Amino acid sequence: MNFIKKHGQNVCFAVIVLVLALMPLLLTAGVIKSTMVIFLGKCICFAIVAIGLDLIWGYTGILSLGHGLFFALGAYGMGMYLKLQATNGNITDFMKTGGLTELPRIWQAFEPLPMALVLLVLIPALLAGIIGFFIFRNRVKGVYFSIISQALTWAAYSIFIAMSPYTNGNVGITEIDPIVGSIRGAKHIGNLYLLFYAALAIMILIYAVAYFLVKSKFGRLLIAIRDGENRTYFSGYCVSDYKNFIYVLSAIIAAIAGALFVNFNGSITPSQMTISYSITMIIWVAVGGRGTLIGAVIGAFVINLCEYNLSSGAFVDIWQYIIGAIFCITILFFKGGIVGIVTEQLPALLHRRKENS
Amino acid sequence: MDQVLSMLFNGLSSSSIILLTSLGLAITFGLMRVINMAHGEFLMIGAYTTYCVQNFFKAYLPNVFDLYYFAAIAAAFAITFAFGCVLEKLVISRLYGREIDSLLATWGISLILQQAARSIFGSQGVFVTSPSFLSGGITLGGNTYSFNRLFILLVVAFCLLLVWFIQYQSNFGRQMRAVMQNRPMAQCMGINSRRVDCITFGIGSGLAGIAGCSVALLGSIDSTIGQSYIVNSFMAVVLGGVGKLLGTVFGSGIIGFFSILFENFTSSSIAKAIVLLIVIIFLQKKPQGLFVVRSRSLDE
Repeated sequence: MNFIKKHGQNVCFAVIVLVLALMPLLLTAGVIKSTMVIFLGKCICFAIVAIGLDLIWGYTGILSLGHGLFFALGAYGMGMYLKLQATNGNITDFMKTGGLTELPRIWQAFEPLPMALVLLVLIPALLAGIIGFFIFRNRVKGVYFSIISQALTWAAYSIFIAMSPYTNGNVGITEIDPIVGSIRGAKHIGNLYLLFYAALAIMILIYAVAYFLVKSKFGRLLIAIRDGENRTYFSGYCVSDYKNFIYVLSAIIAAIAGALFVNFNGSITPSQMTISYSITMIIWVAVGGRGTLIGAVIGAFVINLCEYNLSSGAFVDIWQYIIGAIFCITILFFKGGIVGIVTEQLPALLHRRKENS
Repeated sequence: MDQVLSMLFNGLSSSSIILLTSLGLAITFGLMRVINMAHGEFLMIGAYTTYCVQNFFKAYLPNVFDLYYFAAIAAAFAITFAFGCVLEKLVISRLYGREIDSLLATWGISLILQQAARSIFGSQGVFVTSPSFLSGGITLGGNTYSFNRLFILLVVAFCLLLVWFIQYQSNFGRQMRAVMQNRPMAQCMGINSRRVDCITFGIGSGLAGIAGCSVALLGSIDSTIGQSYIVNSFMAVVLGGVGKLLGTVFGSGIIGFFSILFENFTSSSIAKAIVLLIVIIFLQKKPQGLFVVRSRSLDE
């Protein structure tokens, strides 16, 4: 019992990983379809972003309404590499329509794989670093940071749409195969397994890194910043540097998730960059339980699985009512989300019941 | 010369629209410290109300059709005021002092309202027929100033005056400011602070309704109409300095004029992006905005 209390989070995470690891076996046995496995792969990517968001929101108290931007930057980086694989490094159709005659310099950089991998992490990290450096240095905090990050995301989105010869505007980068080769159809099922387990491994790795961070002294400091920023300043810590570091880290995590996501999704559009998509990510963390890593993972899986099952068929119209209501009620009454209900509100309720009887 | 004049007019017109959408925010965000992400959806409700009132007049009162617009303004204000009061009672009143949570909870509301609009009116945009006295414009020295936009200028001036009067001249405004500045003390003086909260939020939402009424004249109305205005309005309030009416006026003016200025050199979406970036850089210099409410407290 004590073990579960102490390591409940990790046990829970291990169970999720185990269940996910079984999925390809179920696919071989014919219980589920390959679209389901691809969808779970996307969920893994969402869980990774959620961990990153939880680090800055749940632990440090910085609400970023613009993580879709970093997610999309990572995804576009990967998408550009994959598109160039598909065209053998030649200029793409939409560039020709846009009036370009040769491959732009920025696309050329993404042609070799190592370069693409470095850049798709480096560009979001640099962007987050610059934004964070200026914003945190001036002690812009709380809702002001949220509003500014929202405006930045909106600006980036407009620019992405407007630069359509380079980014293909609203349509985004489509018709690409994953890095391991095609995953559609029974013939390529090995590729799907490879990609799925790779994604799972990356999720475990990122969870481990985040777990190590929040359990260390650094994690304590993050919580201190969340609960009393000025006190942390007065205790002699340079809060803005800590904030900036964690902001960059979570941008990197989002970019990695984006790069994985594009493999499963087979396309990337600017809609992943919008404010509403960024807030959707916040919903995952809030519903799962902010301030606990496992909460972020659970939230990402629960919400997306619900959406997957409900948003087709009869529920397609009411799905948005449901998600809006769930989010609103979570914020109003269940601040700790699902994890909070299980670890605090339910035991408190049982305790009260016991006392009464 | 003509070009400069037309640019000035466009700038004035675009700032007036931003100002109209941010006036309500200046009250809910600036005074009450509630980040109402559903503000854009109140604007949408106002716009759809205009559409409904127009249809009503078309069907039942075709001979006084032109007057529908004034009825629509009143109806839009009344309906969004009521919506605002209900929202305040149900949701916002539980979230005072939790700014970030108020942002998230109202986002949930805005998702629901958007879907409701899609269910009722469909996802296709609908159009409002301008009343006949607003079609056309004045031609002066080669430029045409459309009556639509001139009329919106008038509406903005009227709303601004109204807000100024309520906030700084009326008895209710005094109570409102008292509650926002020092709640316990105001309560001791016999002010019903819950009622003041509710009505203040209602007024902020009602202003969004009037804004929706005005933007209905400018283009098609759909469920996402609010989202396209909300970013600029938030930035206008932050740029002007939270809690100052004059600040919001200047903030909207700066964003509006600069967007029009940059549109001369590049496309309008890039111009808006550039203006936002400039505003963000400016906020580095003055994180509190243009007009600061001085305070000695460490965490404001």
